[in-house]
Amino acid sequence: MPNFFDLNVHAYPETGVPVEEMFRVAKRYGYAGIAITNHDDTVKVKEDLPPSVSNFVFRGVEIRAKSVTELKRKIKLHRGKVSLLAVHGGNEVINESALKDSRVDILAHPCGEKGGGDLSHVLVRYAAENGIAIDFNLDAIIHSKRSDRARTLWKMREILKLVRKYKALMIITSNAQSIYDLRAPREMVALASLFGMRKEEAVHALSDIPEGILEKKWKKEKEVEII
Amino acid sequence: MKMKSAKCKSQNKFCILHFALLLPPSLRERKRYLVFAVISEREIDKRELLKEIRDSTYSLYGDVGASESRIWLIGYDKKKDADTGTDVGVGILRCAHDKVEEVRAALACIHSVNEARVGIRVVGISGTIKGAIFS
Repeated sequence: MPNFFDLNVHAYPETGVPVEEMFRVAKRYGYAGIAITNHDDTVKVKEDLPPSVSNFVFRGVEIRAKSVTELKRKIKLHRGKVSLLAVHGGNEVINESALKDSRVDILAHPCGEKGGGDLSHVLVRYAAENGIAIDFNLDAIIHSKRSDRARTLWKMREILKLVRKYKALMIITSNAQSIYDLRAPREMVALASLFGMRKEEAVHALSDIPEGILEKKWKKEKEVEII
Repeated sequence: MKMKSAKCKSQNKFCILHFALLLPPSLRERKRYLVFAVISEREIDKRELLKEIRDSTYSLYGDVGASESRIWLIGYDKKKDADTGTDVGVGILRCAHDKVEEVRAALACIHSVNEARVGIRVVGISGTIKGAIFS
């Protein structure tokens, strides 16, 4: 069985659920590791993790910015301090500047939390070039109903088509705020099949790609170029 | 068992009629039994949970899809978790044999039951109840 990772989980101090508790449930569900990506504007990002879970829990940050300059400043601030740098997308301008910046690892909620944003084929191409993973947040499907859910599924289907075309990286995450929001890997695969993702693709997006992102597998070429 | 056979003998006519009405095995629909575990903020009642499972299925697949998956809640009870000592809900659900992934998605879409947050995970799948319980 592959090692599964969930790279978008929010825990203490943002949500009040301790990291240990979150990891206990995730481990029970069959995850090999999770990444705590709290929003940078709600809490101060702490660099140290409880020593008991530090081998399996990765410290990340999800940057929420209103303008491009703010985004650039924050990327510069957090770069190198955390093992995972995600950007809270949604807005088209933010999406564009995040995907053009190879320092970013993940673009979370590319179509907004309620499917309001947009991602064009040009941007997905930038993502493929820069090795930035497009994040499919399944909580948008879980926590919405009727027209909202239909719109979210439609947007995800469109993004999936572009991701397949340009061979960009994609990951599936739960964006969990509490232990009740976590879902087991096979449930995530079943949810991903709702917007047309095949089983192999979904397993790949839950195991190999997140592992590669944590190892910065797709970033090496770019760094060599800069030197 | 003894009681049943005795009763059967006395009402032989009805017994034969009853067996004649049962579908032959080759015509019976194939089914799968899913064992699921529920973690929740507070204790969840069986009726509440069933309503939420139905709502989730109808909302996700519509009436036609829900009719095809033939969901039936066999049983639901709470069990003590070995690790933490807290109560977790465990239930068995019956569905059509080719709709397991759909039912799994519908279960995963449940995020709250009467304002109490819940998380559902499928623990085992089998073609018989016995097999599902021991999986």
